[in-house]
Amino acid sequence: MSKINEIFDVIGAGIKMEGLRQKTIANNVANLQTPGYRRVDVKFQDVLAKALESDGNEINDIDPEIFQPGETSVKSNGNDVNLEMEVGQMVKNSLTYKTYIRILEKKYQQVDMAMDIK
Amino acid sequence: MQVNSLGPVDIAISGMRAQSKNIEVLSSNVANAQSTDDGKGQPYRRLETILKADSEGMTGVTMEDIVGDITEFPTIYKPGHPDADKNGYVKMPNVSLPVEMMNLNIAARAYQANTAVLKRYQDMVETTLELLR
Repeated sequence: MSKINEIFDVIGAGIKMEGLRQKTIANNVANLQTPGYRRVDVKFQDVLAKALESDGNEINDIDPEIFQPGETSVKSNGNDVNLEMEVGQMVKNSLTYKTYIRILEKKYQQVDMAMDIK
Repeated sequence: MQVNSLGPVDIAISGMRAQSKNIEVLSSNVANAQSTDDGKGQPYRRLETILKADSEGMTGVTMEDIVGDITEFPTIYKPGHPDADKNGYVKMPNVSLPVEMMNLNIAARAYQANTAVLKRYQDMVETTLELLR
């Protein structure tokens, strides 16, 4: 596997993951008032780090893991979603997403340049 | 791979959460400004939030505790009231509405300030990302 494809794979995995996290955040916000609902998050950073450390071609089949952090305080109706926190997660998520997209864009430009299309 | 420069987001969110809890407590005070019985024979005691900075430094704010205001309960003369003592005086909650309104203003402004920080930081990162174009 050449280096350049590896970069595309990593960025692709990142974009896929941020998309999934956006979904979980939307789900959390939608269940803001649902009794007994516990917020969910995506575990990805560790999985990606592990895949990057191993030499194999594992990046293509990274499986982001959905889990319940259970870190926020539980309200009287058994719900632990906090709107402010979700907004914060969303801001972070979209900034990371944009970063990935920009890097990907730059990478494509470099490939184009190498092929002398532009 | 992780974007590590997202600290300001977490700090601003911690401020927003603290102020939102603060506003919740204030609204409880306002709602109970006339409650002469808290179920234990005493009038409603005004609540106050205690905010705490982390000792580590730049890690945002946490709400440490919600404590009761220990100032005296004011009394008013109301002989017909079921909670009146034998002289006809009723203990009222130690909530002062003008003070609560002022605190509400401060809390709402502080919340706004935190959202302003969040928004501005978001704009800043987006400006940086423009450099990647």
